[in-house]
Amino acid sequence: MKILIIEDEEGLRNTIKAYLEKEMYIVETASDFTTASFKINDYDYDCVLLDIMLPGGNGLTLLETLKKMHKRENVIIISAKDSLEDKITGLDLGADDYIAKPFHLAELNARIKSVLRRKHTQGETSIVLENVCLFPDKRIVKVKEKELVLNRKEYDLLYYFISNPEQVIHKMVLAEYTWGDNIDQADSLDFIYSQVKNLRKKLKQSGAIPSIVAVYGFGYKLVCKEED
Amino acid sequence: MKFLSYINIKLSLFLFIVAGVWSIFFYFAIEREIRDETDDMLESYRDIFVKKALVNPEILNIPYETVFDRYSIRALSESEAKGYKNKWYDAEAYFPEGDEHIPIRIFKSVFRASDDKYYELEISMSTLERDDMLEAIFIYIVVLYILLMVCITLVNLVILKKSFFPVRKLLIWINSLVPGKPLPPLNNKTNITEFSQLNDAAWTMSQRNLRIYEQQKEFIENASHELQTPLAVALNKVELFSQHPELNEKKLEELEQIYSTLQRAIKLNKSLLLLSRVENRQYPEEKEINLNKIIKNTVEDLKEVYGNKNIQVDIQEENKCVVLMNDILAHVLITNLLKNAFLYTPVHGVIEIILRKNCFLVKNSGEKSLDKERMFHRFYHSSDHNSKDSTGLGLSILKSICNLYQIGLSYSFREGHIFLLKFTK
Repeated sequence: MKILIIEDEEGLRNTIKAYLEKEMYIVETASDFTTASFKINDYDYDCVLLDIMLPGGNGLTLLETLKKMHKRENVIIISAKDSLEDKITGLDLGADDYIAKPFHLAELNARIKSVLRRKHTQGETSIVLENVCLFPDKRIVKVKEKELVLNRKEYDLLYYFISNPEQVIHKMVLAEYTWGDNIDQADSLDFIYSQVKNLRKKLKQSGAIPSIVAVYGFGYKLVCKEED
Repeated sequence: MKFLSYINIKLSLFLFIVAGVWSIFFYFAIEREIRDETDDMLESYRDIFVKKALVNPEILNIPYETVFDRYSIRALSESEAKGYKNKWYDAEAYFPEGDEHIPIRIFKSVFRASDDKYYELEISMSTLERDDMLEAIFIYIVVLYILLMVCITLVNLVILKKSFFPVRKLLIWINSLVPGKPLPPLNNKTNITEFSQLNDAAWTMSQRNLRIYEQQKEFIENASHELQTPLAVALNKVELFSQHPELNEKKLEELEQIYSTLQRAIKLNKSLLLLSRVENRQYPEEKEINLNKIIKNTVEDLKEVYGNKNIQVDIQEENKCVVLMNDILAHVLITNLLKNAFLYTPVHGVIEIILRKNCFLVKNSGEKSLDKERMFHRFYHSSDHNSKDSTGLGLSILKSICNLYQIGLSYSFREGHIFLLKFTK
């Protein structure tokens, strides 16, 4: 899988690149409008991460060029201009998703996976990790071909973990993903603890190979090998 | 108060004082004039009488009386006559014919007759009745006053109303201005210098306001952009760094603190941005929103988030509360209000929610009232709570959304915090 990151901020570009390379993607970068147009014209990518405000031009123009060339790249707009107009224009022009800065790397990764999955599999889609199989369209999870019954929040958590296996995920990121904006003033994240505990128990009881481990003080991680 | 009524009231007050003072002055002037005239007549009367008496002394012994004037004569000793001074004074005389008292003017003077003796001559003459005169003057002044007022009001109505037309047109124009929207044309020609200056001033000011508004909007967008990117870099660096397998517990804990602090900065920046956007009316789309549904969903989520507090939530749905507003803002409104309730309700506390057709009430347990003056200000923190718990922007966002949709937002404290929202559309 080849991904092109078009982002002028060096720090952000390198961090995203490092995170995605850990996920075994081939990552290329462009830091300005001209470089980005060259790369888009000359090569094919599976996914393009596109910043809107670029030195030398507007990212939305690049998006228009891409669509005019009838390329099949998936485009995710990453923008600091968290304004509705940009989001609507971007999606109208054919972008697949929109994520506002600042975002979590795990969130970006989950979005990339979701976009790529939609592109590469027509019909029934599933994410498989060892003996766990997750069907995002139906919101069903199967372990060893048997359905595992999860509540809404538990499903959301598992989806996030499976999209980011072997990565440490901060508890705030999980909370934000599953409870939306409701948690931004919460003084305690204990509720995450009990939900994760339930999910972990259900996975273990069903005999799933992947398991959730706590990363002390920080968050959780989905691992595929027994670590004890 | 309308300018016309104001002018009328001021003018009538002024005229009232002028007419009052004038009537007093007029009364005394007339009265004095009449007295002088009467006195002159009395003196001429005396002169004629004395002349007659010198020629014909026997008239001294005949008292004289007619209906309107009379005289009497009294002999004086020489010593009395030496120090005698002429006297004029007012008195009243009884007229049995009309059974009434009429005012008279009396003139007393001394003269020496042909027999070398001194006599005092007292002449009295009926004079003007003061009460009647007062009444007449009063009536005429009142009539004049009313007449003047009617004329002035009519003139005001016609002339002022006509000449104030450009001002009314300018007012309508100013009211039609919407912050951030281009100025509509102002076709308001007038020959009055002040009004045309007013037009120019209003036009220039509105243009300046529009420019400042746009600059401010631009500034907020740019500032947020500039701030979001470094925040994103820092956040993602910490995230990436936390993946290092060699990190021990101690280091992870330190990292967690950096991460949480960064999260707070991000939340603060996002809230400020949201607040500015609401105030700049950047959420124009509206649709019918069923608040009951949003409230129930939000309560479910918040119950989980604040599960450790064991808060009891009572929702009374007396009716469906459907309002016309922006979907995003409706969620923000409900979330902010309910989150606030959950956050500040003590452990084992109670939250009551009542939904009616056009209003919605949230009551949560609490010990003392919030500062009503300052609670909706930006960065207000109640004295009992740590500023770490909240951004201090939740209530100001709430207030801004309410202002935007003309939602009546009131807060009161009766054994708990009560927020009441009344919808107008």
